[in-house]
Amino acid sequence: MDLYNSGQVNRKKIALNLAIFIFALVSYINRDYELGQVSFFERLVIDTLTPLQEGVVSAQQGVGSIFEHYLNNVYASKENISLRGELANLEMKVFELDELKRENLRLKELLGFSEEFSQERVMAQIVGWDASSDFRVLRINRGSRHGVQLQSTVMTAKGLVGYVYRLTSNYADVLTILDSNNRVDGLIQRTRSHGIVEGYSGARMTMKYVTRTEPIILGDTIVTSGLGNVYPKGLKVGSVSRIERQSYGITQRIEVKPAVDFGRLEEVIVLTSHLSEELRAEWRALDERN
Amino acid sequence: MRSQLKDLILPLLITLFIFLGLNIASTALLPAFGLSTYILPFNVLFVLYLGFKLQTLWLPVMIFIVQYFFSFFSIEGWELGTIAGILICVLISYLRDLIHLSSAPMTILVTQIFQFVWFVIVSVLIYFKTGDMVYIAERFWRFVPESIFISLMAPLAFLVLDKFWKLKDGVSLGEEV
Repeated sequence: MDLYNSGQVNRKKIALNLAIFIFALVSYINRDYELGQVSFFERLVIDTLTPLQEGVVSAQQGVGSIFEHYLNNVYASKENISLRGELANLEMKVFELDELKRENLRLKELLGFSEEFSQERVMAQIVGWDASSDFRVLRINRGSRHGVQLQSTVMTAKGLVGYVYRLTSNYADVLTILDSNNRVDGLIQRTRSHGIVEGYSGARMTMKYVTRTEPIILGDTIVTSGLGNVYPKGLKVGSVSRIERQSYGITQRIEVKPAVDFGRLEEVIVLTSHLSEELRAEWRALDERN
Repeated sequence: MRSQLKDLILPLLITLFIFLGLNIASTALLPAFGLSTYILPFNVLFVLYLGFKLQTLWLPVMIFIVQYFFSFFSIEGWELGTIAGILICVLISYLRDLIHLSSAPMTILVTQIFQFVWFVIVSVLIYFKTGDMVYIAERFWRFVPESIFISLMAPLAFLVLDKFWKLKDGVSLGEEV
């Protein structure tokens, strides 16, 4: 009887394993890494968990300020022990003001830059990165409630960051240009040569399909071409950091250094009205046809 | 018999709670310190724990749940980890007699080995989809430090999780099932 029961349980085990395995495999095959759809439950969980991520980031910044301020205090005390107490207070104020000043400058720079664009925009803060280092995705604290849409362009004053891949009412996941799933139709500003820029490794990107005969040089700036209906034309993507040109073949291999320093990214701008309803309808029609 | 579904719910909820906490810290805190290239894959650690310690019928469901919650933090989704997790747990079930997590060095070693198996499975799946070997090689160089860190964390993490699953050394849950 025990053997019979054990056999039955083993059969159930195998069946359950197989069912979930096949379900996962089919879902993986059909998975779209270019645009993510979220269910009501997923939206709810993301909206519930992300404030915690936001809180962790704020706490880290707070602790960082205290630590930095402490170091400032130690430095001041070494310079003048008798005035240490007074200096500590002053240093604290100076540090706070300095932080405010830097933030102010950064925000002014962002606003000043975004005024060049006619699109509506919202400013967002980064609250987290993707939990897998295979993907270069960041999470921002603005969602559909703030006018952000799927595939909205995300940028900074320095250049292009990526586009909105997954969206909830308060948060959005941005597929950065460092991710290999994000392909940007780029243009070498000087020579007007077309190519596709895509994430390659860590903080590097490659520009593909540029003809070998194109006279690209190191430091050439790459901007968005506007083709593909995802990014507006003329946004800075990066600059050429390495060129491999063989004596044979059709194309040359170009390595691109992103214009944005992703390691120091704190705030971004989301262009909320880049894609018109007309364009969206065109996209939907094309998708349906395919 | 503590291997009934109702007995698994509470420890699983606690495990998920810890998992979510670690993921929040990993995705928010490490990048805030400028460490955005390496992210600790806690899903691998938790799925391996379930695989090593649980022999219940509901193991694939629990792997799916852990991976599903992981997908809220990553666009990788739940699929890759679920496939790798199930295959590894099947492998563990055949090798169970050879796996002894009796000491910290053994736990570190075994976790490292199975993380490598996980890496191979996921890389094969990615290669089938992308056909990009350079990307796999680049993944490997990220995998090395990340997996070592996870392996080093494993003895402590397993010890903590054992408390919630009420497991003692060398005993796995659900052997009667």
